[in-house]
Amino acid sequence: MYLLKLFKNTTNMKNSLIIARREFMERWNNRSFRFMLFLGPLLLLAVIYLLIISGNQGKSNLNVLIVDPTGLFEEKIVSHPSESITYYFYQDYVELEAFRDEKKFRTYDAMIEINEKVLINKKVFLFYRETPNVQLKMKLKFEVERRVEEVMIEQFTNLGIEDFRKIKQPLNVDFRDVNDPLNQSENEIAWVGYSLGYLMIFFLGIFGTNITRSINREKANRVSEVILASAKAHELMFGKILGILWASLLQLFFWIFIIALGLWVFEYFIFSETLGLGHLEGVQVSDQGLSQFGQSNPMMNYNTQMDLFFHRINYAFLIPNFMLFFLGTYWVYSSFFTVIGAMSGDESDGQQFVIPIWILFGVSIFAGYNAVQYPDAALTQFFTFFPWTAGMVAMVKITAGVTVVSYLFLLLSWLIMVLVGAVLLYFAGRIFKNGILSFGHKLTFKLLLKWLKI
Amino acid sequence: MIEIHDITKVFQEKIALEKVTFDIPKGMVFGIIGPNGAGKTTLIRILNQILIPNDGFVKYNGTLLNEAHVRSFGYLPEERGLYREMRVMDQLVFLGELRGLSRKEAGDKAMKWLQKFEVQDWAKKRIDSLSKGMAQKIQFISSVLHDPEVIILDEPLSGFDPLNINLILNEIEAFKNAGKSVIFSTHNMDSVDSICDEVALIHAGKLIAKDRVANLRSQHKNGDFKIRFRGNVIAFANALWTSFEIIESKEIGDDLREAVIRRRGNETFNDVYNQLSSALELTLIEEKLPGMQDVFVKVIQEHNQHEE
Repeated sequence: MYLLKLFKNTTNMKNSLIIARREFMERWNNRSFRFMLFLGPLLLLAVIYLLIISGNQGKSNLNVLIVDPTGLFEEKIVSHPSESITYYFYQDYVELEAFRDEKKFRTYDAMIEINEKVLINKKVFLFYRETPNVQLKMKLKFEVERRVEEVMIEQFTNLGIEDFRKIKQPLNVDFRDVNDPLNQSENEIAWVGYSLGYLMIFFLGIFGTNITRSINREKANRVSEVILASAKAHELMFGKILGILWASLLQLFFWIFIIALGLWVFEYFIFSETLGLGHLEGVQVSDQGLSQFGQSNPMMNYNTQMDLFFHRINYAFLIPNFMLFFLGTYWVYSSFFTVIGAMSGDESDGQQFVIPIWILFGVSIFAGYNAVQYPDAALTQFFTFFPWTAGMVAMVKITAGVTVVSYLFLLLSWLIMVLVGAVLLYFAGRIFKNGILSFGHKLTFKLLLKWLKI
Repeated sequence: MIEIHDITKVFQEKIALEKVTFDIPKGMVFGIIGPNGAGKTTLIRILNQILIPNDGFVKYNGTLLNEAHVRSFGYLPEERGLYREMRVMDQLVFLGELRGLSRKEAGDKAMKWLQKFEVQDWAKKRIDSLSKGMAQKIQFISSVLHDPEVIILDEPLSGFDPLNINLILNEIEAFKNAGKSVIFSTHNMDSVDSICDEVALIHAGKLIAKDRVANLRSQHKNGDFKIRFRGNVIAFANALWTSFEIIESKEIGDDLREAVIRRRGNETFNDVYNQLSSALELTLIEEKLPGMQDVFVKVIQEHNQHEE
């Protein structure tokens, strides 16, 4: 149909490529476009950097005075002292004012008050002079908690510490899908897919509106008819879509590359201590204990996500599929943006009629969230095959892990997307052909229908 | 030669062209004339295959008009513009490539034209940095860059400044001398007189006249003659007797007068000469043909009366 018409001879394709190159070069020659190739991902990395260091603010080395008048801790807390926290014991009562004001206590950054009721009420106060960073807070909490636990075991049980910790393990009820017993599909990885889908929508939003704006500008410049004397309307339309796609892909590649590189630099050079397990140094815990600890520790969770990002995602599978679904989604949405540009009487018309597309983007983002939370729900199945949300849902599913059958379903959804896109582009072509030479008119639904009929 | 057969174009319910048929001979300047909204631009868009007619067809050199033919046409539309943010040379190369030239060919030809118009220094300038007149020159170059066989100019004289109009008229003359066909649409009849060899007059979507300019003017002549003579005005009036009436008379020099007379019957040029030569010293007798503006008005009036 439309595609067959377009590719029926090489002249058609050549014209579209010439137009596409011009569209691409227009963006490439724009300084702000080139600037954003680097600035966009660097800004995003800066945000990530700020998020990480915001958790690392405050003092990073602490001298902690453990005020233990009853000698409950027996001047013991960790077997291997770490560099970040040095514990000192004081077997007498210390008033808060005294700790705060007296010279002899000034060398201590924090005071932990272990009173005699700690074994009953499980409450410990930590007074600090300057807020310690999140890591140190978590580490202090963990180490004091472990020591209190040891004291309790000694006082209330006949068990050894290791035996107690084995008993203490909570029952781990692991929810697994009957169709995915090995739990290849993981919720946390699905969020990575969701983020990629979000990135996809973000780029579609930026470059889709570029299509509309480019058509409007051609109308305003009165250059459309000059082009149409040499190229067919559908060649112009396809060239425009293609050229903006090239610019979009270039930007996308730069973003992905720079962000990936930046995260790698963060992990291995800038935050190697923070994002590694170094902050648990000196704590003798079993593997199970460590994983348990991790479940309740946000820093540990973050570390898990970095590990997930760098080690657990199958990029060889994910990236080609991301490209595939990005192209499919762009294909579907580009027809909408083209129609809006072609039928606009002026640029404000274009802005107004972009709103329904933004609503579709919103639905798409919801569909992605829904796919993460309820991967097998009926609504998710619907969104999988709904062409405007299929790309987002596919990203979530593919990143989370798919079986051969479910992957085939995703390919089917891609095919539906391409077919729907082709049909939409056919109609977009009709509107484009009639609308491209019209400017300054009042856009009405009636006019749109008339253009469709001609 | 371009043959236009029974072209009908309808926009929604409005008939823009109705069964328009005529030929455009090769190697001449052909005017498509008519009032605003007559259907000239629609016809020109059909010739450029920007619009497809509802009915009828166009032949070029005996075969149905196709994309390859249209690529060999040059077109300066009425609604013209350029990409404002592009450089002059990039723009010309882009449009040349769309017309089938290679990048190098397009670049070479563009430079030749820029040199011809003595504006080669503009090659690297952005369009939005050019004045309107400068941009018009680039616009014209873009339409003829690929050395077209047929040049279609839709209202080329509207919007252009007088210097550029002169430039375009000279180029039209040069194209004609090179054996190319120039199709020229306008509602400005003054330019038709001086440029067009043949015209088709379109009114309300219909072809109402098509002929050589000289023939049309001759067909619609009023029987007026311009006379320049030395001598007495009374003698002049007496010599005309009852066959002619004096439309106007004025002194243009010492004892030199110029008058316009109109015949009352079927008197010819020879009758004028015979009647006046014996009474006056004649320096000029010229049959005064109506301008295309007058022909245009007259033809449309006749057509409207006929329709009623």
